[in-house]
Amino acid sequence: MSLERRFSADKKQLTVVADEVFDFGKVQDFRVAFSTDIEDVEAVIIDLHKTAYMDSSALGMLLNMQKLLSGKVTSFKIINTRPQVLKILQIARFDKKFEIT
Amino acid sequence: MRILIVDDDSLNRFLLLHMLEQKGYVDCYEAESGHEAVSLAKRINPELVLLDVMMDDMSGYEVAPILKGQAGDIYLPIIFITALDDEESLVRCLEVGGDDFVAKPFNKTILAAKISAHARTRELSKKSYEQNQQLVFYRSAVEREHKIVEHIFSNAVTNDKKLLPYLDFTLMPATDFNGDLLLFSASPNGGLYYLIGDFTGHGLAAAIGALPVSQAFHTMASKGLSVFEMAQTLNETLLKLLPGDMFFAAAIVHVSSSGTRFEIWNSGMPDLLLFDLYGQVIKRFGSQHMALGILEPHEMGKDVQWHQGLVGERLLAFSDGVIEITDDEQNMLGEEPITDWVAQKADISVSELFEHITNFSHNTDPLDDLTCVSYTCQSLSALARRQQVTHVPFNLNLTLDAETIIETDPVKSVINMVCSQIGMYGLHARLFTLISELYNNALDHGILQLDSNLKHSPEGFEAYFDLRMQRLAQLNQAQITITLTYEPTQRRLIIVVRDSGAGFDYQQYSKQVDLENCFGRGIQLVNELSDSVRYFESGNAVEVTINV
Repeated sequence: MSLERRFSADKKQLTVVADEVFDFGKVQDFRVAFSTDIEDVEAVIIDLHKTAYMDSSALGMLLNMQKLLSGKVTSFKIINTRPQVLKILQIARFDKKFEIT
Repeated sequence: MRILIVDDDSLNRFLLLHMLEQKGYVDCYEAESGHEAVSLAKRINPELVLLDVMMDDMSGYEVAPILKGQAGDIYLPIIFITALDDEESLVRCLEVGGDDFVAKPFNKTILAAKISAHARTRELSKKSYEQNQQLVFYRSAVEREHKIVEHIFSNAVTNDKKLLPYLDFTLMPATDFNGDLLLFSASPNGGLYYLIGDFTGHGLAAAIGALPVSQAFHTMASKGLSVFEMAQTLNETLLKLLPGDMFFAAAIVHVSSSGTRFEIWNSGMPDLLLFDLYGQVIKRFGSQHMALGILEPHEMGKDVQWHQGLVGERLLAFSDGVIEITDDEQNMLGEEPITDWVAQKADISVSELFEHITNFSHNTDPLDDLTCVSYTCQSLSALARRQQVTHVPFNLNLTLDAETIIETDPVKSVINMVCSQIGMYGLHARLFTLISELYNNALDHGILQLDSNLKHSPEGFEAYFDLRMQRLAQLNQAQITITLTYEPTQRRLIIVVRDSGAGFDYQQYSKQVDLENCFGRGIQLVNELSDSVRYFESGNAVEVTINV
């Protein structure tokens, strides 16, 4: 099942909405979501408002995305994190690599 | 029109009767004495009385007030027919309750005109009586409505009493309930939530909205949802429920278990003010969203404000009734006096603030509800300890063979089983991450023998997961067991995951995690999210404990 994604009007910003469970089962979906039709994309936003469950493979996927898009995309944001998910991101020091709100 | 003729002279009665018949009044009754008039009137309920003054048993002066009394609230015209023509007698006719007088011998035309004039007045009186009855009915209906509102509020809108020591608040309802709502609930993660809101409209309409809001709030709080999810759900509920012109302004605050971190959703409420230890405003959390019950779900913004506070900092929230209360000259209070009062006394209580407010308004009845709630950053560890947790010990044992490992993902099932126990729901996200890490380690490294070093490059990262799928599909001999044991006396949950693989040299495994690497974070998460971690046997078994 593909992930919900949205482009801004000028196609420069891509928002990917992760599912309730964000774990290794989403590797393919996530890859497709952040890497297709992104010719003009300069900013990527990962919206975690639905995400209640997350494990370290999701962290790996996020970092992997950043590595793959670096040079092309200049801004990475993670938004709408629930407290429990935020805690995981903080334990992994992701606040140093992503703008988290 | 039913007319009662009272006269002891039969000739007079005959003349009057005759005249009335000519004018079309056929529903007429005669009484030949005062006593008869009183008893007949009781029976027939006359609509107009022609009354003689001079009678043997009772004079007209005596009869008039009795008839008036019997007639009750509707105007009963009494016209005296009298031979007396001295001023004093005529004045007396009116003084005892008569409405008019006609001299004997009477002039037919004048008497008929007077009768029809009084008949009109009686009609008016009847109408106003009926309207009055309706008003009385509606008024008692409204009073009943208010009683229902009060009842609903005292019974359905309940709050968690163990939070009372942590929140300082006052609700001052207007004479007519105006829809302010204050809800609070402990969070399963050891923190707390509160909601301060204000319905447009008042009375029963607002109370009806308060019911689902209260229930949804407490349910969502017990699941530890984010303030954004709460707002989203409340919005959807109210959108369906409320008529178009009604909505609900609300601020929802989540205080984390540390007692110092806030998440705030503000849709349509006045700014929430954060004061430092000296009573100075250091941050304000203004409304970023439209009130709930207006926007379609996809139109809703998602912005949540957050703040990492210090112990002693204080968050003050109030309804618009507070800043819009007026003094004798219709000047509104505004926000400034409130900040001044806190600046003068940083630890001012909410009831002291309300003393200032009532001094300002000179005790005039407020037109709107006034609600104010204050939370001061403090340790919530005592609150976390009071969370009720099941007293039933349990042991959950899952043995997964190769086939089950290929076909299922057991993690979610395990979480659901454990989190359905009383007081365990709050663990769900943490347990998911822990068990997911332990299970995936057992599977990836213990059983499938995958090497994390593969994940160094982005390509390798993908390759790792492809290889995983490949090896998983070919798996034919393997076993993973997951055991969860809950010890209620120690409030401790012990998770053991064991795999049939070769294990690893856990003594050597204490490498620093590299931020750049796409792997190695799992163990770090397990360490941070649990209270103890222990590998044993050949490293193919791991035991993790959590204090509940």
